[in-house]
Amino acid sequence: MDTAVEVRELVIRRGGREVLHGISAQIQRGVITGLLGPSGSGKTTMMRAIVGVQVVRSGRVTVLGRPAGSPALRRTIGYLTQSPSVYADLTVRENVRYFASLYGIASDDADQTIRDVGLADQARQLVGTLSGGQHSRASLACALVSRPELLVLDEPTVGQDPVLRDELWKRFRQLADDGATLLVSSHVMDEANRCDRLLLIREGEIIADDTPAAVKAAAGTDDLDQAFLTLVRNRTEEGS
Amino acid sequence: MIGSVRAELLRLTRWPVTWVVTGVWLALNVMFGYVFDLLGYRDAVSSGDRRLAAELLAQISPAGVPATMTQGLPLFGGALVLVLAAVSTGNGYGWNTWKTVFTQGPPRLAAFGGTMAALAVVLVGIVVLSLVVDLAASAVVMTAESQALTWPTIGELAEGVGGALLIAGMWAAAGAMLGIVAKGPALSAGLGLIWVLVVENLLRGVSGLLGALEPVTDYLPGTAAGSLAAAIGGVTGSESGGAPGVVTILTGPSAATLLTGYAVVFMLVAGFLMARRDA
Repeated sequence: MDTAVEVRELVIRRGGREVLHGISAQIQRGVITGLLGPSGSGKTTMMRAIVGVQVVRSGRVTVLGRPAGSPALRRTIGYLTQSPSVYADLTVRENVRYFASLYGIASDDADQTIRDVGLADQARQLVGTLSGGQHSRASLACALVSRPELLVLDEPTVGQDPVLRDELWKRFRQLADDGATLLVSSHVMDEANRCDRLLLIREGEIIADDTPAAVKAAAGTDDLDQAFLTLVRNRTEEGS
Repeated sequence: MIGSVRAELLRLTRWPVTWVVTGVWLALNVMFGYVFDLLGYRDAVSSGDRRLAAELLAQISPAGVPATMTQGLPLFGGALVLVLAAVSTGNGYGWNTWKTVFTQGPPRLAAFGGTMAALAVVLVGIVVLSLVVDLAASAVVMTAESQALTWPTIGELAEGVGGALLIAGMWAAAGAMLGIVAKGPALSAGLGLIWVLVVENLLRGVSGLLGALEPVTDYLPGTAAGSLAAAIGGVTGSESGGAPGVVTILTGPSAATLLTGYAVVFMLVAGFLMARRDA
């Protein structure tokens, strides 16, 4: 299978301390890769490096065959930041059409994207008046509207109710089936089962890079939470 | 860059701030340019002050529209335009949208160029709307007072529109730069307003005491804006029916050159910072 993203011996310092300690990983094209780990483990920093907005101390990040941050990659990447990035004083439709205009995408496609994230009824509502979950979905629609080849989604389901979370994951699956590559971060382990592959990260190091089934098998459990804890414990024992 | 212009125009035209600023500017323009002058004219007529009545009538007349439209811009109009531009660039940092645009949108300089071009289109719209509203207000007042309508020549209209665009453009460039420097709308708008409404006037006051400051205050952005408004026919703040901020310090061509220089410098600084700094 093709590689969409290759991270090699990546070291990143933020706020005066080393956040990623020489990690290496590959993200395959056309699949959903879950980037899982506790808060502060380095998920967002790794995503920032992949979309090219993070200063890299050493190592290399290659995205769709080009160095991360290359101008040619701009239209091929969709990035959903952890905090929503939309204009609160515009409506949902105006926000999505704003980003659609940047890429020369028709208004009809923008409206379809709004329906895809379940905000059709709120399309004419000011973003500032939306609930937290709806606000995040408005931001998600802006990341999806350009139909990018690589979607980097930083905790896209935080604050969403279970029904909507299920719908969003179905939508992610559809995008992957259509050929898009998705990197989705989460600190909720039950979402990991919906991914094709998992990158488990802890304290700036990758502790597992495999399919959910293989991760569970390696840890000798059916529960991913338990598997994560087992892998952490094994790694600690190896280190001592 | 066309995509950026289209997107920014969509944002600016759907944005309540744009319409609030436009509405406030038109209301101030009509209020100070026509309503108060009309009341002053009637007072002058009833008290028999023919000289003052004639001066005020000339300002209210359609022929005086280019000057009336321009003379409000060095101070109040400039402040409003500066706030609009500062909020339009600063908001992108405040709501994190520049981060998304810089990651997956056009190159940074194209995004900046698109924003400035969209702001320029909005400014042209505001100036043309001011012209139409002022001509209409003038015609209504003159007809109500049974006075003959004397229209400005095409050349005078072009001079008024050009001057208004140059003054508004310079303040808009200053606002856009402040929005990028401060990376947010509130601080940039506040700093800009203090400069336009307070600091320049204070400096001009101090230069009356300290002659050494005069060469500096004579070339400040507000001085250049006020001088151009005066060159177009605007009445200085010290005269009857005059506007604050209108001064006769520089000649028209010098003021126009200085305003262009300031606008270019502000845009260069803004573009450089937007391209080089983290969102």
